[in-house]
Amino acid sequence: MLAGLALVCTGLVVLGIGETAAQQQPRRKAPPPVAKEAPRSGETTVKREQQPGARESVEADVSARTVAVTSSFNGTEIVIFGAIDGSQQPSAESGYYDVIVVVEGVPSRLVVRRKGNVAGLWLNTASATFDNVPSYYAVASTRPIDEIAPEDFRALHGIGLKHLKYTPAVGQRHPLSSEDIKEYRDAIMRLKRRDGLYLDRPYGVIFTGKSIFRASIVLPANVTVGPFDTRVLLFRDEKLLSRFSVRLTLEREGLERYLHAFAYRLPVLYGIVTVMIAVGAGLLASTIFRKASH
Amino acid sequence: MQLYLPVAEMSANVFIFLAMGGAVGFLSGMFGVGGGFLMTPLLIFAGIPSVVAVGTETAQILASSVSGALAQWRRRNVDVKMGVILLSGGLVGSGIGVEMVKVLRRVGVFDVFVAACYVTFLGVIGTLMMIESTNAIRKTRAGRVVSGRRSGQHNWVHGLPLKMRFNRSKLYISAIPPLLLGFFVGLLAAIMGVGGGFIMVPAMIYLLRMPTNVVVGTSLFQIVFLTAATTVLHASQNYNVDVVLAVILMAGGVIGAQFGTVAGERLKGEQLRFLLAAFILAVCARFAWQLIAPPSEFYSLAGGI
Repeated sequence: MLAGLALVCTGLVVLGIGETAAQQQPRRKAPPPVAKEAPRSGETTVKREQQPGARESVEADVSARTVAVTSSFNGTEIVIFGAIDGSQQPSAESGYYDVIVVVEGVPSRLVVRRKGNVAGLWLNTASATFDNVPSYYAVASTRPIDEIAPEDFRALHGIGLKHLKYTPAVGQRHPLSSEDIKEYRDAIMRLKRRDGLYLDRPYGVIFTGKSIFRASIVLPANVTVGPFDTRVLLFRDEKLLSRFSVRLTLEREGLERYLHAFAYRLPVLYGIVTVMIAVGAGLLASTIFRKASH
Repeated sequence: MQLYLPVAEMSANVFIFLAMGGAVGFLSGMFGVGGGFLMTPLLIFAGIPSVVAVGTETAQILASSVSGALAQWRRRNVDVKMGVILLSGGLVGSGIGVEMVKVLRRVGVFDVFVAACYVTFLGVIGTLMMIESTNAIRKTRAGRVVSGRRSGQHNWVHGLPLKMRFNRSKLYISAIPPLLLGFFVGLLAAIMGVGGGFIMVPAMIYLLRMPTNVVVGTSLFQIVFLTAATTVLHASQNYNVDVVLAVILMAGGVIGAQFGTVAGERLKGEQLRFLLAAFILAVCARFAWQLIAPPSEFYSLAGGI
């Protein structure tokens, strides 16, 4: 049966479904990004910014710029490593510099539903829609971020789970009080944290030499595919010295990608092929077992 | 071995779902039922989104019904005319059901709706079966012979217009009851991810008064076409058929069914029905608990619309 499936997929490659998959929206769960632009091929994935007057500058990269979501995808760990050019630090342990690493998925629209009791049954009775909810957000640092950077800086740049800028969308189905909004916001945070999609690692960035550091971040299996913005910020005494950003992309690959593209782009044909597989499997099974029983 | 399910969009352990398919296949082989009404709840309990569970299970029911339908066809146990009438109603029901799934899902009440449907149907059927099989077991113990009843009496079904002759079933009845029955079963198939045999078979026997030898064949005949159409409709309207998951379940199901059939031959009919009723009531209770127990988390997230 699996062989049959593979055969079908090979057929799809020939049909050219694979090629169209790249232009397709990565996932139905991630509508076009609201605040940011999606990356286009050819666009630079690396951006650096030097603070005036700072002697040090930071450079970083991720262990894999492109992560493939294949049929065996079960989450992955990416390593962000970087180096400080012109490091004044005497040793790795001196704590002279602070580094914050932020990995952020595409911001998109999200519906939060709340259960209520109706005649003894628990039903989804209320909901709220939020915009600019990052599909994924991880922040790692050399020590707790409130010790590294001032509050107003973190708020301005959206650093730390506390400063995620998701907001209620205009035109809600149910009217929202400010109390409701707070509860829904908290729910998003709680659920995303539970699913490993929002995380903070206050001691997740480790200096392994006087100028080099690394952080490892887990992307769980349920992460939304698409581009991830990775920012690396270098601090000294609550002052930003330098920053660097690099883009990481999670892409569907292989069989998984063809099947997903097939199911969403040619749903009728996909349904028919599924029916054919089912009928084939049923007939095959009855043939095999009839022979076996005689 | 973990495998990423392309439509359910989650990583799943192949062996767990193979085993699940095998277990339900075993039960369906043993009891001679399709197994959809056990498999769909199990998939939901295992964390597959309700919508995907329903769509995918439809494809699996098709696979497990094909060989049975073919065997019945060879033995000429299919009343094609009756099957086609049932199917015409069924296709309309399935079309409406698939649309209902779409709307209920958008509003965010599909999970609860499915759970409520299961509680209702499994509760009623499980209870009836439990009573019937307990009585049968008691009667057998008392030494009386249990005879399958089949009265020739006419019921209200025979008073309806649009009468048609069904030669294979030796019936001359109105086309309205089979059309309505087909419609109802089609609706259930699309919403609950079942084949509907558990409604169809008793209804054919007690309502339409079809001879028992064509009941199973005709039911399987219409299930094959109904689930095939429902699979395509679900795939195209709700994008909820996961072909990878379906193949895993099919593989487990066909193997399990072979062993189930052997095991089923060793047990008596009324004992089998008693066991099946117990299974049905257990699944029903699990769903009921989900509806009435205070949830540990009151909020849930869904993609933007």
